[in-house]
Amino acid sequence: MSIFAPLSIARQALLAQQGALQVTGQNIANVNTPGYSRQRADLTVIPPQGSFVGNGVRIAGVEQLVDPFLEARRNASASDLAAATTSRDLLDRVQSAFPVQGASVGTALQEFFAAANGLATSPQDLGARSNLLAKAEALASQLHDTSNELASAQRDGDQQVQQATADANQTLSSIATLNASIRSASVGGDPANDLRDTRRTALNTLAQSLDIHTVEQADGTVNVYASSGVALVVGDQAATLATQAGSPGGALDGGTLNTIGVKDAAGTLIALPGNLGGTLGALVTARDQTLPGLSGDLDTLATTLRDQVNGVQTNAAGRDLDGNVGTALFAGNGARDLNVALSDPRGIAAAVGTDPGDNTNAQALLALGDTQLPALGGATLGDFFGGIQSHAGALARTADDQVTIEQSISQTLDAQRESISGVSLEEEFTDLIRFQRGFQAAARLISVSNSMLDDLLGVIR
Amino acid sequence: MILGRVTQATVFQQLTSSVGRLQRQLARTQEEVSSQKKLLNASDDPAGAAQANRLRGETSTLQALDGGIGFGTAVLGAEDGALDQAGNLLTRAQEIATQQSSGLSTPAARQQASEEVAQIERGMLTLANTQVAGRYVFGGLASGTQPFANLDDPGFDPTTAYSGSTTPFTLPLGAGQTVALTTPGDQVFGSTLTALDHLRTTLASGAPPNASVDELNTAADTLRAERASVGGRVTRLQDRSTQIGRLTDTATGQLSGVEDVDLTTAISQLVQLQTALQATLASGSAVQQSILDYLPTS
Repeated sequence: MSIFAPLSIARQALLAQQGALQVTGQNIANVNTPGYSRQRADLTVIPPQGSFVGNGVRIAGVEQLVDPFLEARRNASASDLAAATTSRDLLDRVQSAFPVQGASVGTALQEFFAAANGLATSPQDLGARSNLLAKAEALASQLHDTSNELASAQRDGDQQVQQATADANQTLSSIATLNASIRSASVGGDPANDLRDTRRTALNTLAQSLDIHTVEQADGTVNVYASSGVALVVGDQAATLATQAGSPGGALDGGTLNTIGVKDAAGTLIALPGNLGGTLGALVTARDQTLPGLSGDLDTLATTLRDQVNGVQTNAAGRDLDGNVGTALFAGNGARDLNVALSDPRGIAAAVGTDPGDNTNAQALLALGDTQLPALGGATLGDFFGGIQSHAGALARTADDQVTIEQSISQTLDAQRESISGVSLEEEFTDLIRFQRGFQAAARLISVSNSMLDDLLGVIR
Repeated sequence: MILGRVTQATVFQQLTSSVGRLQRQLARTQEEVSSQKKLLNASDDPAGAAQANRLRGETSTLQALDGGIGFGTAVLGAEDGALDQAGNLLTRAQEIATQQSSGLSTPAARQQASEEVAQIERGMLTLANTQVAGRYVFGGLASGTQPFANLDDPGFDPTTAYSGSTTPFTLPLGAGQTVALTTPGDQVFGSTLTALDHLRTTLASGAPPNASVDELNTAADTLRAERASVGGRVTRLQDRSTQIGRLTDTATGQLSGVEDVDLTTAISQLVQLQTALQATLASGSAVQQSILDYLPTS
């Protein structure tokens, strides 16, 4: 056993404690860095060589405290939360097209039938007739506005799809770059902890755009797949998400909607099947299902209103103020283009005979307001609109509730991540003192070894 | 949330999310208090939104019906007034008929009396042509044109003097109910005018109008019957109006229950939330305890 052994051990210890202090310092410095995972110097005994006592201490590595399963759950939660938030924002806008206070299709319908009541009271009065036409115009205009609002929400949703796709592409390429860097660092024995943190953050950002599955490879790279299994990142190669305009007339406003896919080598778009999840999935669902559904209901209301009112107005027995059979009051094929075809108030067929004071047909028009119509599933016109309004409200409500749930899940997972990977200043300062004491002790070991050498050399002298 | 290890970030994240949540609830409650509505969007209460839509529809329908009933009451009131005066005129004609049927009267006196009967007949025709807001109330559906010819028109014949409609104008009362507003004038005044015309021509010829006494009595019965019917319809309108008032109150009350905020609850909630927010913020300053406070600075 060499007399220099304690010196050597002391030197190793100094270096090890210093290294550990450096790690602690890094942790303290990054206490507020988003996505930072705390690191720990892995202090290990240097095993004995030719003696029974070991050779001191060394830092075997610097490990990150990360739970990979928790990270996968955080990614899934990020997808769900982003999807819920996107749906909520879009559906909140949609429900504002069906206001409960102030003018709406509902109030316009009520005013139309109130005007029909006025016509039934004073059928020969041109004022009552003009009022009915004005209320019909107002009703058509409310239907346009509501329909346009739905179409415009769909258009915005489509633009957000393109934006979110572009954002996802940037994240995909940065993940591929990080994969390459981490792989080359791993070859040199560097765990590349900080790059991994950055990649975890990037994966979480990507998960907000669309649902992903990740598989870590032996070389340190992470392969990323979409929920349908399509590869998005393999090693240092990232796929490019692209959007392509669909068939014309596919949108509510008559334009086209974009399909999301991956471009193959030939540049052909291969559409991503299934629900993408995340922001993109929520946007596509709202754009392709929710909004067309509501718009379809509104169209049913508009066409039923048109058919029923025109049915009374063009009734063969009905007569206008000039004794003629009435012509259609409403024209158009849906809520979007419903318009009032009748311009002359004398043309309203309020009578069934030639008497100008006859209100028999006006009463039939008035009765429409209370009629349960088979075309509307047995609802009245007003109740059918109430149903659409309630449906839009329920969609927004459900989406908002979903956001609350997902936020709570996300917060729990964040707190769990924080409890595993977060930096605690109390712990770090305790470590700081611990390693400082270790460093002081190692330094004392050097001075003791030194005085031992002095004593020995003194004997020789 | 079950936590193993608590770090500064955990504490501050929870603080931030709690404060954010409380502030959102506060903003929402403040909006409710200031607008006094709890149903601001359909999502606040989807079923309530549909109910509010229906209740508003009911209120709107009831208001429109009430407007029609007001008009109907005016029309029936005018009819009642006209029938009242017609009754008085007919009573005078009956007096004349009785007087002139007596043997004491002379042909000259009868011819003189025929002039008064002619005036009564003119008056009766004016009453039969009564208008309310430009509409002839005894014209049936043909309320826009004068239903009865004038006595001085050439070839006046009481049996053909009526040119109005034979169908009454009906006013919708809601729920499929209607009330007849105008009775076709020939059914009301036909017998009266014929009787008066007979009396006038008989008197003008100087003959005693014996047959007219009974004829006038029958006509008076018809007028009285119509007046009773008008009275009955007015009562029906008034009942319906009262009912509409009550239904409107009910619908408005229900609407208020669906969409109006209970201020007492909302304000106490506001105060509660403010207290919670203050307490949360105060607890935020308490978590600023750190190991650094206990370490020597050297």
